[in-house]
Amino acid sequence: MDREPAIIQNTKIKPVPKKIKWRMKHITPWLFLLPSIVILGGFLAYPIIEAFRWSFLDYKIIAGSGEFVGFNNFKEIFTDKYFWNALTNTIVFLLMVLPLNVFLPMILAVLVNQKIKGVGTFRVLYYLPVITPMVVAALMWKMLYSQSGIISDLFLKIGIFDSPTNVLVQSSTALVAVSAITVWKGLGYYMIIYLAGLQSIPRDVYESADIDGASIWQQFTRITIPMLTPSITLVSVMTIIAGMKVFEEIALTTGGGPAGATTTLVMYIYTKFNSLDVSIASAAGLVLLVLAIGASLLQMKMTSKREDDLRA
Amino acid sequence: MNSKRLRQKIWLYALMIFITVLTVGPFLITLFMAVKSPGEGIYDSLIPKEPTLENFVTAFQKANFATYFLNTAIVTCLAIPLNLLFCSLAAYPLARMDFRGRSVVLALIISTMMVPFQLYMAPLFQLSGELGLRNTHVGLIVMQVSTAFGIFLMRQAYLRVPKDLEESAYLDGANKFKVWYMVVLPLVKPTLVTLAIFTFMGTWGDYLWPLLNSTESSKYTLSIGLAQLSQNFDGSNLKLISAASILTTIPTLLIFIWLQKYFISGATDGAVKG
Repeated sequence: MDREPAIIQNTKIKPVPKKIKWRMKHITPWLFLLPSIVILGGFLAYPIIEAFRWSFLDYKIIAGSGEFVGFNNFKEIFTDKYFWNALTNTIVFLLMVLPLNVFLPMILAVLVNQKIKGVGTFRVLYYLPVITPMVVAALMWKMLYSQSGIISDLFLKIGIFDSPTNVLVQSSTALVAVSAITVWKGLGYYMIIYLAGLQSIPRDVYESADIDGASIWQQFTRITIPMLTPSITLVSVMTIIAGMKVFEEIALTTGGGPAGATTTLVMYIYTKFNSLDVSIASAAGLVLLVLAIGASLLQMKMTSKREDDLRA
Repeated sequence: MNSKRLRQKIWLYALMIFITVLTVGPFLITLFMAVKSPGEGIYDSLIPKEPTLENFVTAFQKANFATYFLNTAIVTCLAIPLNLLFCSLAAYPLARMDFRGRSVVLALIISTMMVPFQLYMAPLFQLSGELGLRNTHVGLIVMQVSTAFGIFLMRQAYLRVPKDLEESAYLDGANKFKVWYMVVLPLVKPTLVTLAIFTFMGTWGDYLWPLLNSTESSKYTLSIGLAQLSQNFDGSNLKLISAASILTTIPTLLIFIWLQKYFISGATDGAVKG
């Protein structure tokens, strides 16, 4: 930008009048930004600020107002055993999904990274769950899980079940069943992330390992996994952030039941919203926000620490 | 050596086919269920004996899915071009112009990507009521046009474009809008396609906001119609639910087949989204 006058003189073009130049520098950027600022300001920033405000009020959505109650809403959720149950379920859900999301797609990526015939078709077939609308995925699995469904049949035949069972209605298995849907839906997506990581590993690393007589397993644990560290971090962060917001899989299969066994933080917020306790919902939403930010920061710290370790 | 290689290959294919059964199996079972004739028991056998399209016809005619399909199509078809336009406009000065407030605007936009929708859905619900957007297509579209993620994605794309092209266009006397539209935008077409795909996927299958905002059945999208239909999850209704599920998935499937390579390259671009 600063070099402009010199260039203009050299090419003998009429210099731009000062007034227009000032407008170009100070007004034009905002014209580009205008539609987005209006929309994001109105339908994102404003409701977020309102949510902060509501969490300190006893807001009545019908009256459209509420009185200031300080930290009462937070006190209420922190003494609510259903809130703690929801938080526990969210953490248990994450602990189940995280290792599966980290390792299963990695195996898929290694498989479809082989130079063999038909591998492109397999990539596409593994990606299908990713493009399925979440509502459809949830309903498909609800059908598979039903008492006379194929999963119950299969588990009866192998001898895991004694009688036809719907895993979604048992409080001991419901959360596991729900997390399987999440893992299934994400497999192909995280596979692609790993595939990008795998393709950045130079081939000759494997070739020299081959010459040194390293087995496939050794190559996987000593080369592939360490070299995939950035992808592993990325997949973990994405899993944690997405997992905290898990909703459709649960809302459409168990609705949070049986007896709260699958009520996660978001289901808790949704239930509070439905019973018009919007201030409680906002306060719980803030807790969710803090957790999401916390997870991102922790992960960022871990990444930079790991990079420091590598450098040292 | 050769037979060892062959054995390895057979294991590899066997494993890959097994995984295919896991990822594609649920679709096939749903499809089989969707084409079962009325007389056939839902769990009699996996493969239908007399395949029929009757359940699809019922979904369209009796279960209102023609309306839901139309609503979803209208919302999606308007959301995509508007989102591309607004995001690619907003991202340009954030990538290329030097003006007061740029870093603040950029930081604000990026930080909103972390905020969960569930935090602000209640105030948003009230706002849409006050603005008369409840049970309207506009109420759904407005949440999909101009997204923080889209602006971020487009900005990344602009940063990869070499500056020289724009500078020579300025010398020819073009103004900023002209340069953006004629020079820069054609160069980031692949990113526009990626963003179009993200917008399509986000809008077509969106559930929570339409669930809150569209309370009249004449305004339901496919997701909501499907969820409502599944309230009755009895055996008698499963064939219809399956047919409606397949109907909801077909457009995404067609677009996936059409723009496959953009889906794959876009997946890594979208990794920042979380």
